[in-house]
Amino acid sequence: MKRLVAILRAIRNKRRIRTDGGTTDERSTVKRWLDSDFLQSAPFWGPPLILMGLFVYGAIGWNFLLSLTDYSGFGGPDYTNLGLQNYSRMVQDPAIWEATWNTVVLLVVFTIACLALGLVLAILLDREIRFGRAFRTIYLLPFALSFIVTAQFWRWMYNVNDGIVNQFIGLFGLGPYNWLGDPRLVLGSVIFALVWQFSGYTMVIYLAALRSIPTEQYEAARVDGAGTFRMYWRVIVPQLRPAIVSATVVLVLFALKAFDFLYAVFDGYRPRQGADILATKMMREGFNNSEWAYSSAIGLTLFILSLAVIAPYLYTQYKRGNL
Amino acid sequence: MAQTKLNDVTKVFTEDDGNEIVAVDEVSIDIDDGEFLVLVGPSGCGKSTTLRMVAGLESISSGEISLDDRVINDIPAKNRDIAMVFQSYALYPHMTVRENMSFGLEESTDMPDDEIDERVEETAEMMGIEELLDRKPGELSGGQQQRVALGRAIVRDPSVFLMDEPLSNLDAKLRAEMRTELQRLQEELDTTTVYVTHDQTEAMTMGDRVAILNDGTLQQVGTPLDCYHRPANLFVAGFVGEPSMNFIDTDLHSEADETILQADLFDYSISDEIATKVSDSSDPVLGIRPEDIGISEDPPSDKHDVAATIDVIEPMGDENIVYLQFDSEDSSREAESIIATIGGMRQFESGQTVTAHIPEDAIHLFHGETGEALHNRRLETAESQAPQL
Amino acid sequence: MSEETLSAGQSTDDERVLDRISLTQAGLYTSLVGLVLFYLVPVQSGFVTSIKTSDALINTQPFAPPGPNGATLESWEFAFNALSQGLINSLLFTVPATVLCAVLGSMAAYGLTLVNWRGQVAVFVLFIAGIFIPYQAVIVPLTQFWSQYAMLDHRLGLILSSHHATILELIITHTAYGIPICTLLFRSQYKTMSWEMIEAARLDGASVWRIYRRIVLPLSIPMFAVVFIFQFTQIWNEFLFSLTIIGSVNDSAASATLILSGLGEALEGVDYPLRMAGALITAIPTLIVYLLFADKFAEGVRV
Repeated sequence: MKRLVAILRAIRNKRRIRTDGGTTDERSTVKRWLDSDFLQSAPFWGPPLILMGLFVYGAIGWNFLLSLTDYSGFGGPDYTNLGLQNYSRMVQDPAIWEATWNTVVLLVVFTIACLALGLVLAILLDREIRFGRAFRTIYLLPFALSFIVTAQFWRWMYNVNDGIVNQFIGLFGLGPYNWLGDPRLVLGSVIFALVWQFSGYTMVIYLAALRSIPTEQYEAARVDGAGTFRMYWRVIVPQLRPAIVSATVVLVLFALKAFDFLYAVFDGYRPRQGADILATKMMREGFNNSEWAYSSAIGLTLFILSLAVIAPYLYTQYKRGNL
Repeated sequence: MAQTKLNDVTKVFTEDDGNEIVAVDEVSIDIDDGEFLVLVGPSGCGKSTTLRMVAGLESISSGEISLDDRVINDIPAKNRDIAMVFQSYALYPHMTVRENMSFGLEESTDMPDDEIDERVEETAEMMGIEELLDRKPGELSGGQQQRVALGRAIVRDPSVFLMDEPLSNLDAKLRAEMRTELQRLQEELDTTTVYVTHDQTEAMTMGDRVAILNDGTLQQVGTPLDCYHRPANLFVAGFVGEPSMNFIDTDLHSEADETILQADLFDYSISDEIATKVSDSSDPVLGIRPEDIGISEDPPSDKHDVAATIDVIEPMGDENIVYLQFDSEDSSREAESIIATIGGMRQFESGQTVTAHIPEDAIHLFHGETGEALHNRRLETAESQAPQL
Repeated sequence: MSEETLSAGQSTDDERVLDRISLTQAGLYTSLVGLVLFYLVPVQSGFVTSIKTSDALINTQPFAPPGPNGATLESWEFAFNALSQGLINSLLFTVPATVLCAVLGSMAAYGLTLVNWRGQVAVFVLFIAGIFIPYQAVIVPLTQFWSQYAMLDHRLGLILSSHHATILELIITHTAYGIPICTLLFRSQYKTMSWEMIEAARLDGASVWRIYRRIVLPLSIPMFAVVFIFQFTQIWNEFLFSLTIIGSVNDSAASATLILSGLGEALEGVDYPLRMAGALITAIPTLIVYLLFADKFAEGVRV
């Protein structure tokens, strides 16, 4: 098939050269350039690239510039006096370190919990069951909702007096706890709610990967004498690695920028003590305290952290020819 | 080492809309210890389902499968002490060849690691794949993967090997090579083997015995030559052999001194001995293998000679496949054609009129309705016929 | 082994296997239903709470429906009044932005996949990376841009009210940031299209543009459905741009999610029935789209 395409392409190229045959070198170069696939395809990818590029990469560049100024309050930034003072301020700000720690905890616990719960869901659903689609639809439902919406539900779930969570653990003689008020509990409560919302997503990723594993793999493992658990653990789960990697990337990136949910749960830019992460800290410094330059510096830090996750991922994808 | 018995084994699938489909219908086969049994049949005949029931990958709707007199119907696959080679090989892509081969031993036995290692190395050496041990399946060629899949089954030293079309993904040359090698290995290991294939060359050359399935029912179990020369019914006769046996519908007419099989375009007289065998059926089917038909340029002289025209010749090198048409005096009737194979050095042209000789010794006769064999060819003459090909 | 012991042994085996099968089955379905509870209880509790009077709120279990005396639609009415303008605003920017994203994404994916030129992977990487950019890294310049440089309400003051100018800003912003994911979705489909087919069309003399119009576009209709559904829910649910570009809950361009985030805030404490009613009203459009096209949504998520 590939060969055929190559031949067809060669034929086309030859024809093009032949029609250019009598003209001067210069003209043929120009004409060939005008004829080239690059230029012909440019109207398709060009405008989206410009729009997206300006808003994404232009804004990041501008953000970097802003982070070097001392722009705060009203008025405008002064681009003549640039320096790294905002970054040194970050290093000295204990609130940044606390937010970083919380971000790391959120990122690790949330990602692992989502990966684990999603795997359980996917394995349960990856067989002939009645209403399988209905189950999948229900498990994925929270993911289709806005964080602002789910935050409302969880505020009520975590309500100290009337919340279902306290009522439930009350059955076992525990609680009540102030889930969203106690600094020791608040981060865990937020993570739990976010896992509720995201585990359906990992389930869908796993399900697609599971479906692409041929049934012979399961059968071979059975004939080889493996029980159900050993079969999944030694034969199936290792083959899910690409799915696990891509789901991890998405989950980590989300954990880095999670802001909406915290804003809605805590009614504003200031999460309860113990739940502040870099993303909320950044938004608060800018849009609450008008410390625009400082806020940009934190934003850029978040970008660099994301890049540290995306770049290796994209690189390996490129190496494998998946791009 | 085991004797495997299938006793009235039946598999019924229930479709989503409640329809029941009988995939395997009361199949009974006794497989001897160390035997190489080939299950063969057209696609969808139930041969793979039968194999998968032996493996424990498919439940048994009714009937029994036993291993050494122990009924194994309800024993899960992992405890059956069998090894299987899949059509797609089903090698674990994330494990090296060594890990692939040790997996089964680790899961199904308590063997210590060093002993497992030793056995893997030994088997790899036997299969000639010792230098591949640390590679992953993705880095191997199709033929190498095939060897690893075999090695993975062999290293287990199971009581039964099950093979589901293991050679069908190889190219023709490699397939022929592996066919011989598999036979050699099986003889050496002397392990009971059930081999599923749709390729009748494999069936004929590899098996100690062949079990032919069609539509879920067992048609015949026997040695390959038995099935070839003494087919139990029309299906087996048509399925075994390439090009397949010619079938001619006839009507039985008894006249004063002879019995005649009346085909559309010619009459064929048969001896009394054969005639008594076919008396059950008024419209028996006459079967004759292509290589048993003689062709000559002489005019018809014998009562078993028929005039025919050569329609097409396909030279194969060692032989010619000749499509013969019987001439019809009545042009409204469609010409009937049969296939004959003759020696590759003989020269004929299409359109040429020849005489086809259908020796009575070589004919088969089948019941017109049931398809059951009423008379099979005489075997003692088979040998003397051969050089004439 | 005699015949008798054999058959006896077998029958107990049979029962054990049957037991085991039904036990695993029972366990499987119990876990599945238990998980359904886990995923639905927050939504269910939100719903029953939204129709409770303040008395019923205190006197009934959070997951139990209110009795006939304790039920009221007051919260729904109030929430709907507060949110109605927000719902319209959300629809006003979500629909155009979704369509624009899909069209531009499809074109970009075509130019980067089915027309062969060197360096397209590099350009594509720029698009992919765009999916994962944390908005925190662009949000300050973005708000600067709209409020101090573009100033659409000022410049287009003659043709657009400030309310519509803000909506336009949101459309452009959402489109720009939605293009990467849409490009990825379309490219995943275009990569599976046969090269021979495109080559054949070229040999037939079709231009790059006509191949897109006559061949690629008709074949992408199923993917357009996926992108529409996925992108609609994404943009509708979005909050950060609404918060920063619109700025205030009281702005006439405020989106549904923005209004919901501050719903009933002025009142003493949190009015939970009102909040729950508001949350459900805000979720209705996405819920409808999701429940009608769950498979397509899942497909969009998967890529």
